[in-house]
Amino acid sequence: MNKSDYILIAFLGIIIIALFGFLKLDKSDVNNALVYYDNDLILKIDLNTKLKEYKVKGYNGDVYIKAGDGKVKVVEEKSPLHLCSKQGYISKSYETIVCLPNKIVIKLESNDDLDVTVG
Amino acid sequence: MEMKKFTRLSLLLALCIVLNIIESVIPLFNGYIPGLKLGLANIVILFILYCYSFKDALYVSLLRVVIVGITRTGLFSVAFFFSLGGAFLSIIMMSLFKKLTNLSVIGVSIIGSISHSIGQIIMAIILIKSNLMVMYLPWLLMFSIPTGIITGKIALKMLENFKELNEVGVSLY
Repeated sequence: MNKSDYILIAFLGIIIIALFGFLKLDKSDVNNALVYYDNDLILKIDLNTKLKEYKVKGYNGDVYIKAGDGKVKVVEEKSPLHLCSKQGYISKSYETIVCLPNKIVIKLESNDDLDVTVG
Repeated sequence: MEMKKFTRLSLLLALCIVLNIIESVIPLFNGYIPGLKLGLANIVILFILYCYSFKDALYVSLLRVVIVGITRTGLFSVAFFFSLGGAFLSIIMMSLFKKLTNLSVIGVSIIGSISHSIGQIIMAIILIKSNLMVMYLPWLLMFSIPTGIITGKIALKMLENFKELNEVGVSLY
């Protein structure tokens, strides 16, 4: 390792800390969970209620979602790796659960958020 | 292409694919941070970049993605395109930084590691049409530095042992 390697590592370290800080700043409360199947909105869950289980149809079968108290998670689904049920609860507006085998995407939104979502 | 070089590059390609299979069974916070891997195949790509040329490294890297796609993840699947984006960006960035800066093998390896993550995220933004994958970026970058140093150190050892191949005489340190 020479001097420029250490400079590179220090530079990357600063960028990473800045990125973490940037993500931490977003403290907006979320109000709704939007469940998409194949890019179509199929379920809108109000997150200001108590925890409750919901069932939606995925590509490989039923997907069980637990939502409420400002958070949402996938409880059970049929997929080879179970990535989305391992992910656990999400509660921030930039967080998302993507279950590619089931073509299910769960996004969070806050009512007072007037930002335009692209895509 | 010279027969000796051709044979060596084929062997290195095979090594690349085997390393890819090996690293897929090494659990590294499996499932919690999508796309996090050791990047062992990058050792071979770095080796080719220093011993042969950018063109050879690009060929081997893209062939690796295609063969791993055929045998493991399925050709033209989402994982295939993630891997393609990462491999392409990382090989281009590595050769640029190798040429333009005086980073050592380890520094170039770190560059390859982070640009592989960034390439995957760019692919995710294009394919899933969601910019939310960006939230994984700091995590991926944070783990890219140690994995880049590890693969860089291994590549450096390998290059020191095959010094006679380094005809161009590029400085390793």
